[in-house]
Amino acid sequence: MVPVTTTTFAGSFPGTAPGTAAAVALHGVTRTYGRGPTAVRAVDGVDLEFPRGAWTAVMGPSGSGKSTLLHCAAGLERVDGGRVRLGDTDITAASDDELAALRRERIGFVFQGYHLIGALTAEQNVALPLRLAGRRPPRAEVRAALSMVGLGDRARHRPRELSGGQQQRVAIARAMVTRPEVLFADEPTGALDSASARTVLDLLAAMAARGQTIVMVTHDPAAAARAGAVVFLRDGRVADRLVGASAHDVADRLVRLEA
Amino acid sequence: MLGLSRATFRQRWPLFVGAALTVCIGVALVQSSLLVLISAATLPVPAGLAPAARAAFVEGSTTAVTLSALTLAFSAFLAVFIVSSTFAFTVAQRRPELALLRLVGAGRGAMRRLLVGEAVLLAIIGTAAGIPVGLAATRFQSGLLVGLGMVPDGFNGEWRSWILGVSAGVGIGVSLAGVLVAARRAGRVRPLEALRDTGDSARVMTATRWVAGLLFLAGGIALVILTPIGGAAGGQALGGNAALCLAVALSALSPLLVPVVARLIPVRGPVGELAVAALGDGVRRSAATAAPVIVLVGLVLAQATMLTSTTAAGAAEQRRATAGDLVLDATGPVGGDVTDLPGVAWASTEVVLPLTVSWGSGDDVEREDGQALVVDPAAYATAHPGREAVEALRGGRVAVAGPGAGAGSPGDTVGVLVGGSDLGPLPIVAGVPDAIGGGADLLLTADAVPAAELAAAPSRTVVALAPDADRDRVLAALAALGTVSTVPDWIAADTAARETTTVAVFTVIMGLGGLYALIGVVNAVVVGAAPRPAEFATARLSGLTRRQVLRAALLESAAVTTVGLLLGGLAAGGSFIAVLALTATMTGVATLAVPWALIGLLAGGLYLVTAVTSALATWSGTRRAPVSLLGATT
Repeated sequence: MVPVTTTTFAGSFPGTAPGTAAAVALHGVTRTYGRGPTAVRAVDGVDLEFPRGAWTAVMGPSGSGKSTLLHCAAGLERVDGGRVRLGDTDITAASDDELAALRRERIGFVFQGYHLIGALTAEQNVALPLRLAGRRPPRAEVRAALSMVGLGDRARHRPRELSGGQQQRVAIARAMVTRPEVLFADEPTGALDSASARTVLDLLAAMAARGQTIVMVTHDPAAAARAGAVVFLRDGRVADRLVGASAHDVADRLVRLEA
Repeated sequence: MLGLSRATFRQRWPLFVGAALTVCIGVALVQSSLLVLISAATLPVPAGLAPAARAAFVEGSTTAVTLSALTLAFSAFLAVFIVSSTFAFTVAQRRPELALLRLVGAGRGAMRRLLVGEAVLLAIIGTAAGIPVGLAATRFQSGLLVGLGMVPDGFNGEWRSWILGVSAGVGIGVSLAGVLVAARRAGRVRPLEALRDTGDSARVMTATRWVAGLLFLAGGIALVILTPIGGAAGGQALGGNAALCLAVALSALSPLLVPVVARLIPVRGPVGELAVAALGDGVRRSAATAAPVIVLVGLVLAQATMLTSTTAAGAAEQRRATAGDLVLDATGPVGGDVTDLPGVAWASTEVVLPLTVSWGSGDDVEREDGQALVVDPAAYATAHPGREAVEALRGGRVAVAGPGAGAGSPGDTVGVLVGGSDLGPLPIVAGVPDAIGGGADLLLTADAVPAAELAAAPSRTVVALAPDADRDRVLAALAALGTVSTVPDWIAADTAARETTTVAVFTVIMGLGGLYALIGVVNAVVVGAAPRPAEFATARLSGLTRRQVLRAALLESAAVTTVGLLLGGLAAGGSFIAVLALTATMTGVATLAVPWALIGLLAGGLYLVTAVTSALATWSGTRRAPVSLLGATT
């Protein structure tokens, strides 16, 4: 049994000095949908730091605000209150073009629905962020990204000619081609069969081992257990956290949260 | 980025082909109307024509110029309207894909450059195709004008090399105008929209739509109010433009109106409910399909109704303004011969002469062609109740403004040329009321005109029989002088001739333009169906058969067409009010003649075209097994 560390209040993980080494930091972040009596506070005063070079999973029951938290952390969603920092950059009030540049250069995304452009080949999809940044990427660079996810031989296939697992790996290659500071993954294995899910998680693990910062939202305890640390959300607040827990521990904690 | 455009094109070619096609036809129509207009306006009058033939030639080519100018204006309007709505809709349909680009880091500028670049490419393709198509359209339009006898045989809109520049400018200009607003919006697409499968998450009633809708609505209402003071020709133009403004306004506001009207459509059963739900859910799509229908119906109905109503009002006015029993068509001033016949109470002979009036002097002379009528003032006043002002002609070498009112107003002094004789400057001392059906521009007496001019000119004589007259004997005697008809028959024949001209005018102005708008409708249906296979697949997985999905799509397209017809009718309604006011002001009787046959034809045609297009698009969209289409988010 791996020793389990639990804290019940927000703060940094053991071994990280607050505010300096975090890849992404949220301070008092709130995000409310709707107005008046029907308003829903999806994220409610969250203080959280995702350490550099670590793989952190975010878990919680449905409606706990985990996806909204990820969107806020990645600058896809404006926060109503609090501050969001990416490395040394405060992105809370970044302009639209600054956020777009951020997405091109400093962060990568992987989503449950793959979200590849159907008209483009795997290779073209992967090259897209670089080309949007005004670069003409050498083919070798793009092929290398595809080879890294094991799809070097599928470069000229279109998404509909690939399986779900393969599409997700193309999406990972697209996210990684810019060598982002942080990779945000929202239920990356949510739509995959267990074998494909394992391949994708192995890929993420390999990247984390090389020092890639990964923030992953998932509802799958097995997936969460692959991450170094797990943050639990409930009703938009950080409810719990585990470091180095097994899938069983994670599932157990989740069941208790949902109870 | 061009690689992306190329790849997108391969997958979504119907969208792009549709957009290029609208540019192509827009360019073709504008180019053709402009070439025909210039050729008609510069048509040289053949040397050595007799005055009457010369007058007929000038009148014909003047009408041709007016018609071509109207056609040009109409084509330009349609090109701007249809191209911009097609481009905007195409961009709206690609919203999920654009959001995805935003997600992987495309900034606002990059999005705008992508869309503007694509639009320029499509514009170049459309223009390149439009120029040769325009040549065919020129032959067609020239042929129409020849067929109507307005221009001589062999007339053709002559090619001018500078037109290449104009066509390229039109093609690229309307495409850019169309895409700029859409591209700005696309730049503001939020990246998170890519993660939502609901599709049409964008607000459809944009600020641009509100502003355009309300501005054109106000403009349309203003034009309706102004119509009665526009006179015969101006009033028709104002009334027609009122419908045009209202049609644009209602198209812009259609995202608000389509769901409201859709709710009024009675439906039963799951298929019907699905159709109406889809109509309300896909507001952007419904609005895009309804827009060209609204414009087509609004314009065609307004133009046709204005023309038929003014013709009807003109006929009624002519009946009221003509006393007497018979009309004799003859040559020269036969008045004396007619009044001498036993049984004739009175007769008013009116000799018709080609007229040119001129204003100003030296190099600064303006000329206007028209028609002069040489009359006996007392008899004319008797024969035409309401035109007693003609009595002012007794004052000697003077003129009176006629019901056609094209030669100046009382108080003016104009140079008068009738037939081949220069009468010198004549003061216009009075004017009879303008007639909605037109007529002679200037009334003169025989004293002012050389007898030689009168002898060869056509004349008509309105004859009243004495109470005790032997009708048959008078008829026989008149028949020896020319062609005799009763006043009602004569007016009916005149009206029939005007109606023929009306139909011809309508065909010239609306023919190709109407076809263009119809292509816009087809295009909107095709573009609207392009992203729907997944939606159809969901419906089939919920238990609907392919036929039921097809039926729902057909019901939906019929409903959108109905909404378009109703709103188009509402837009045309503005010009109905305008023409009622115009005819009431000019003739004292508000007249509205609605061309029901045309409305039936138009509605039937539109239902047929939208149904066939939508059936084909839906059938092709449900070709693959439903399960294979789910999960394919882009």
